[in-house]
Amino acid sequence: MKLIVAWLGALWGWIDARLPVQRAWDTHMAKYYAPKNFNFWYFFGVLSLLVLVNQFVTGIWLTMNYEPSAERAFASVEYIMRDVDFGWILRYMHSTGASAFFLVVYLHMFRGLLYGSYKAPRELVWLFGMAIFLALMAEGFFGYVLPWGQMSYWGAQVIISLFGAIPVIGEGIVEWVRGDYLISGITLNRFFALHVVAVPIVLLGLVVLHLLALHEVGSNNPDGVEIKKDKDENGIPLDGIPFHPYYTVHDLVPVAVFLFVFCFIIFFMPEMGGYFIEYANFEEANRLKTPEHIAPVWYFTPFYSMLRAVTFEIGPLTAKFMGFLAMAAAIAILFVLPWLDKSKEKSFRYKGRITGIMLLLFAASFVILGVLGVKAPTDDRTLLAQITMVMYFAFFITMPVWSVKKGGVSILRYLLTGIFAIGFFGLGMPKEGVELSIVVRICSIVLGLFFLVLPWLVERNISKPEPDRITMDGGMGFWRSLSVLFIVLALIILPLKAAGSEANHDCGAISCDAFEADATDQESLQNGAKIFVNYCMGCHAAAYSRWERVADDLDIPHGMMMDNLVFSGQKIGGLMEISMSERSGKDWFGAPPPDLTLVTRARSGKWVYTYLRNFYADESRPIGVNNKVFKDVGMPHALLDLQGLPGCTDGPTLATNGGIKVDPLTSEPLNDDPCGNYELLTKGELSPVEYDEAVYDLVNFLSYLANPVVEESRQTGVYVLLFLAFLLIWVVLLNREYWKDIH
Amino acid sequence: MSNDGVVNQKRRRFLTGMTCAVGAVGVGGAAIPFVGSWFPSARAKTAGAPVKIDIGKIEPGAMMIEEWRGQPVYIVRRPAQALESLENLRDTVKDPESEDSDQPEYVDPVTRAIKAEFLIMLGLCTHLGCAPKYRPEVGAADLGGEAWLGGFFCPCHGSKFDLAGRVYKDVPAPTNLKIPPHNYESDTVVVIGIDPEATS
Ligand code: FES
Repeated sequence: MKLIVAWLGALWGWIDARLPVQRAWDTHMAKYYAPKNFNFWYFFGVLSLLVLVNQFVTGIWLTMNYEPSAERAFASVEYIMRDVDFGWILRYMHSTGASAFFLVVYLHMFRGLLYGSYKAPRELVWLFGMAIFLALMAEGFFGYVLPWGQMSYWGAQVIISLFGAIPVIGEGIVEWVRGDYLISGITLNRFFALHVVAVPIVLLGLVVLHLLALHEVGSNNPDGVEIKKDKDENGIPLDGIPFHPYYTVHDLVPVAVFLFVFCFIIFFMPEMGGYFIEYANFEEANRLKTPEHIAPVWYFTPFYSMLRAVTFEIGPLTAKFMGFLAMAAAIAILFVLPWLDKSKEKSFRYKGRITGIMLLLFAASFVILGVLGVKAPTDDRTLLAQITMVMYFAFFITMPVWSVKKGGVSILRYLLTGIFAIGFFGLGMPKEGVELSIVVRICSIVLGLFFLVLPWLVERNISKPEPDRITMDGGMGFWRSLSVLFIVLALIILPLKAAGSEANHDCGAISCDAFEADATDQESLQNGAKIFVNYCMGCHAAAYSRWERVADDLDIPHGMMMDNLVFSGQKIGGLMEISMSERSGKDWFGAPPPDLTLVTRARSGKWVYTYLRNFYADESRPIGVNNKVFKDVGMPHALLDLQGLPGCTDGPTLATNGGIKVDPLTSEPLNDDPCGNYELLTKGELSPVEYDEAVYDLVNFLSYLANPVVEESRQTGVYVLLFLAFLLIWVVLLNREYWKDIH
Repeated sequence: MSNDGVVNQKRRRFLTGMTCAVGAVGVGGAAIPFVGSWFPSARAKTAGAPVKIDIGKIEPGAMMIEEWRGQPVYIVRRPAQALESLENLRDTVKDPESEDSDQPEYVDPVTRAIKAEFLIMLGLCTHLGCAPKYRPEVGAADLGGEAWLGGFFCPCHGSKFDLAGRVYKDVPAPTNLKIPPHNYESDTVVVIGIDPEATS
């Protein structure tokens, strides 16, 4: 034993004499002195590092099965999700990680803004950080194209076409980037190379630079006080504490909490309501069909909003080009931030009221822009986007004015803020021909007034003197933080509500019926499978799923499955394909019947359920039926034998707000819609109640087919979360033990 | 540092140990999907499912190549004199009774088949995995003339096998060619990939 220890010691000495292991450890961990007063905001640096590692590892694993070609990309992602053991976990870790990455990075950047971490001597830290942000956006964009769903395709189409706005050379650039006349497999291939090789290398290099630059100058802190000023006789900062073990232990707490939330999303809501994985992306890219509503993933939406908000032209510069410029400028201006802030103090704690207000307005504007970016534009929303965009730029451009009391020529100060005041007033004015929300317009006028008098206000701004040493309790405290959070939320929600109101029905011309899938109801699923094979698979395949998987998951014995459900000539392990070729499908129905494996994920269970219950006789259609959910659909009523043929009769008219129109005098429903009700023209095999049950079973089965791991995921998730909660207990105890005597 | 209180080293060590232990379990758990995803996927398993082959049409002396789990399966219909030659090679081959070789126990160790007439084996050289060539012609000059009674020759590093896939002495390949699990469904239909018992 002793011998081994001695031998290991010698080995260590041998290595350390040749490689600066000990020195590196000391410089960056054991003797890196960080301020003692880090707060909540300081967690996001280490968390982004954690997510980076997650993205690298899961990304490497995904490339093992992903195929970067237009023909196979979409199918290979589904292959990963279904056929590769645990593949769905790897994929969701990566897709959730992408969103988590942006979330923590945005918060990390905002921390820098709050405490002036970009100010001298940390300008380079900020610049490297911004370069990381830029690389991350490129990485996110390229990565989103790879699954080759509808959003991947059309998102890429829109973003790349942006470059076409550049005068003269634009179109050439677009073609060069695509390598084709439209986004194609060629584009996909190069984006794949960039996403998995080039950008990650750049990213990694930049992260190293970011950390090296940080550790050279030392960390900032919520008080903005340089801890290197006050050192003890050994040259150790009095307000510092060794990063290891104190902050390694400390950071484990947010790491555990983060993992808890992260895993919750992975196992229980991987699409995160369509924000992390957009529903339309469960449909394979189709270059002939644009989705109804294109929105980028949430982390790009603030900038995307600005792109759309620019609707005016200046001389030869088109709105398209100006929008592109605005978007580019919104990112570029972040790079010069260190030189815009002229204040003596670093932290907003000591900069006074004006800075606080500005930060609030900026944060609210950024979030509003983000929310607007995922919604379809309306006049009100465009106006709100314009106001918040101007606010975004005003924050930075007038910063040299409001960050310092006096300085420069006073008239210039008024001029600079005055320009923005005029801008806000202009946006708040009534416009001819369009009715705009009065609340939104008032917001704009108020902002205009604020900017008009801003220099005068700044002169009366009271900044507090920075303390000499850091404070452990200098923050806002719980209740004040809470009220600030409340104000921010109000600032975000009020204008959005005012610009809100979108009147349409979620199922075509009507509202969706209630539908709740039940993945544990085997009987319903089995019945659904039977109906699906007998009535749907004449035309529709489910070619991402395998017969055997369905049999096993639904407790159907293989022999029975082979005899009753699997088509002759197919293997139990084979994909659920059909014999009708795409060509003949196109000849019969005008468009090939889509694959239905993922239909309830791309649409939603309720949509399909409502759709199947709303066929009605319509002589004007070539196939004799129409559908209220999917107007003029080319599909015949496949369940006609079961339901019978419903015909239209008079019934209540639906109002756009979702209710039904009533007679204003008697409050009786107005039965003036000639197709407000149905009446069976021919009888089916099933009674209406039985038919509804059959459709429920069918859609329940389709929901299972779209996401066969739902149950497994929930069960695994419970264990993972329990484990993480257990881990959290130990981490918290450990942290308390180390920090209890630090004041 | 301003921590003036006495540090309770014991408690620190205990808590550190516990956190590390629980953390290690977590890392182990997190590794499961990464390790697990390397096993054959549902697609690979389907492709690797047993294959049914009609061997009735093979001419005596001819060889047919089929695929099972992506590996070539050689099926040779051995004429009577080929089976006789096996006995004569007893001293020429390294493992005449297939004692150190890989094969199901229900095949004969010398003829290495369920039905002696049909040799069914994997066409992967046991040296480094090349595909041996079928060389049935007796007395082939390039394979030792008179002494060559027909068999397989691996072009990669020159290993020789007889008509039962038994490896010759003094060649690089260590063992006889492998026999896959297989079962006769009828006289002329064989299923590669399952054992006879499994189907009864
Ligand atoms: S692989 Fe056949 S002899 Fe080397």
